[in-house]
Amino acid sequence: MSDPTRSQYAKKIASADQIDGLRCLRDQLHEGMEALLPSRPVEQLNEGLNESHDALISRAIAISEAEMARKGKGSPPVPYAYLLFGSGGRKEQTLSSDQDSGVVYQDSDTNREGIKVYFTELCTLIVKNLITIGYPPCEGNVLSDNPEWCHSLSEWEEKLSGWFMEPEWEVVRYLLIIADGRCVYGDPALVDSLKDMFFTDTLNHPVIIKRMTENTMRHKVLVGIFGQLLKERYGEDAGSLDIKYGAYIPMVNSIRLLAIGANLRETSTLERIRRLVEKGTLSSEDGESYEQAFRFILRLRLMTTEQMENGLYVNNGKLPRGKLSREMADELKSSLRQGKRLQKAVYKGTMGRLM
Amino acid sequence: MVKKTFLALGLMTIVFPIVAFAADPSGAMLDMGLNSLWVMLAFILVLLMQGGFILLEAGSTRMKNAGHVAGKTIFTVGLAALIYWAVGYGIAFGGANAESAISKFIGWGDFFVNPGTSGDPASESYPSAVFFLFQLAFAAISLSIAWGGFAERAKLSSYVVFTLFYIAIIYPVVAHWIWGGGWLADHGAQDFAGSTVVHLSGAVAAFVATILLKPRIGKFNKDGSANEILGHNQVFTALSVLLLWVGWFGFNAGSTVAIGDGFFTYVAFTTMLGAGAGGVAALLISWAVTGKADITAMLNGTLGGLVAITASCAFVDPWAAVVIGLVSGVLVFYSVKMFEKLKVDDPIYALSVHGMAGIWGTLANGIFATQELADKVGVGTGGLIDTGSWKQMWVQLQSVVFAGVFVFVASFIVLGIMKKIIGFRVTEEQEIIGLDLSEHGAYGYPEQLKKPGQGIQG
Repeated sequence: MSDPTRSQYAKKIASADQIDGLRCLRDQLHEGMEALLPSRPVEQLNEGLNESHDALISRAIAISEAEMARKGKGSPPVPYAYLLFGSGGRKEQTLSSDQDSGVVYQDSDTNREGIKVYFTELCTLIVKNLITIGYPPCEGNVLSDNPEWCHSLSEWEEKLSGWFMEPEWEVVRYLLIIADGRCVYGDPALVDSLKDMFFTDTLNHPVIIKRMTENTMRHKVLVGIFGQLLKERYGEDAGSLDIKYGAYIPMVNSIRLLAIGANLRETSTLERIRRLVEKGTLSSEDGESYEQAFRFILRLRLMTTEQMENGLYVNNGKLPRGKLSREMADELKSSLRQGKRLQKAVYKGTMGRLM
Repeated sequence: MVKKTFLALGLMTIVFPIVAFAADPSGAMLDMGLNSLWVMLAFILVLLMQGGFILLEAGSTRMKNAGHVAGKTIFTVGLAALIYWAVGYGIAFGGANAESAISKFIGWGDFFVNPGTSGDPASESYPSAVFFLFQLAFAAISLSIAWGGFAERAKLSSYVVFTLFYIAIIYPVVAHWIWGGGWLADHGAQDFAGSTVVHLSGAVAAFVATILLKPRIGKFNKDGSANEILGHNQVFTALSVLLLWVGWFGFNAGSTVAIGDGFFTYVAFTTMLGAGAGGVAALLISWAVTGKADITAMLNGTLGGLVAITASCAFVDPWAAVVIGLVSGVLVFYSVKMFEKLKVDDPIYALSVHGMAGIWGTLANGIFATQELADKVGVGTGGLIDTGSWKQMWVQLQSVVFAGVFVFVASFIVLGIMKKIIGFRVTEEQEIIGLDLSEHGAYGYPEQLKKPGQGIQG
């Protein structure tokens, strides 16, 4: 999308007042993006795509608020922030990312129950509307309409300290999810406070980084000891490469670990790499090669197999053999080698031994 | 107490002198007794390998066929015993036509074997009965290898028909060529315990069956990609390899059919090295190539090592046994991938484990056999490394090619005609509900699987 069309598109989103209208705009986004994919630099593409997603989601939230008001439930009783986690939080959504979300709202001394009921109803509506627009719900149920992910600031504080007290496997996964949280709508200051708590607790519990490492290292970079790509061997996707879990996620995980350890609030992987270089955690050569590798992986991720299932945009994260030219395969191999090197370095750094 | 015993014994020898002297057998008699015991033990070990095949085939296939897979193995071993007794043994080892030129290609005589009740120490090193049992066990192993190609889709009747022809004619002819004084034996073909005779023959028959049967439903997708149909019990498969491994000491070391100077222990020794090397190589190669240390590949590699060392266990040095096993492990891994690429559905991996490794093991003699051991066994000459000559390799290649082609053509004729006349494969519906139900009427795991239509009215 060129810049004039981009701003035009943003205007259209801002002026939509029906969920159905947003759905049409979302479909247009797909048509436009697929045409642009081969020609544009991936960062620009990624940025445009994520801005559009943010705009669509924000608009859907605003429409949901209005719907609540129309139903006589009033407007939000206290300020709140709608958080995106996962790829949305990292500003790395593809054309078919699912919903991972949560809510944090301001504490109030009065009418606590009423406030909770309001946000529960609002979030149910938001999640439903986003499904209508084509965002599939998170399979792990990390969703704002799940009471576990919709709390006031003080409830979050309690929750977080509980998690840090007993960092079992599932809890460590939640903490990793929080690390990527980003405010997409509402009051960003609430999210900042939440993040402050998170980082203070993390730095007070150094063991947590080790647990996080253990939790993420099972996703191995899909490159073998001969430098060959480790492709799917069986099934419908035989011959394709699992870009999501074999290339993208391992790099995201490693960089996230470094960023948490360095007390960085950025959520996007590329921004994290840049800040890590600024802080001196990564050398500038390493930063540059990781950045280059990650950009290439992001591009391939945008090319993975997409399907439409029951009106939802879904993606299996796998790149079919046919879409990968010889030059791209070579570049992918060297990118994966960088990813593997990064993973090893992070593992050695946090665990103090070889993997 | 001791004194009393000696006194009693002394008195006994005076009263009954015959007791003391008649119990003292001749050296030849002792020798024959020991040999018979050893070959009998080896027969028992090889027969027990059928337990390995039951677990291997059942573990590598799905629950719905488990009872059928296990039951048919026992049944066909029994059927094979009768047929080998009536016909097969006579074709393999019958000597009635020894004077004629046709004995180069087929044995004759000794049908409906009657081995006599004991051996003659003056002219035999073991009684005929134990030799018959040992050879029968080998024939039954070869047959069970062939079943790998039938798995999960062949009709029960096809097992009966194929047992008849394979045990009466196909297997005995190859056994005669190499072990029964046939034309390959005359050339000095080295196949100590049957990499070619038993394993390659069985695998080629399995190959013919998979070609005629076509892949199982759901193995390959429309675009040609393969699906992984996982076996239902990996513990069974691992246990099967242990059972086969143990049995293999009867298979290889027992093939000395003599105690002698203890040469059988050396044969067991090289067998152990080959098996270990096969498993290690397969695990490493699968880990290096696919990123995961694959258990099935490792198990197949161990079996591949055993199959390969089977021909060469009595002819090679220890280091060569290790090399033969290592190569076999890698070969089996790539062979499995190759057959999948060729869209040949081989559920038990028989073509790779018994076929490819069988070929490799037979040819390995041409490379690694030593002159010293060839002289000791009294078959053929040393291989390329020891003698610098390609002579033995050429003979080995002949064994592989002629035995392979013969079994392929003969099996194709038998199974092809059978397919035309009575049919070979069960119907689609029967295959989907499973052979346990379609061929036998009850599931091997009745609590895990519901019969169709069951539970509708409770």
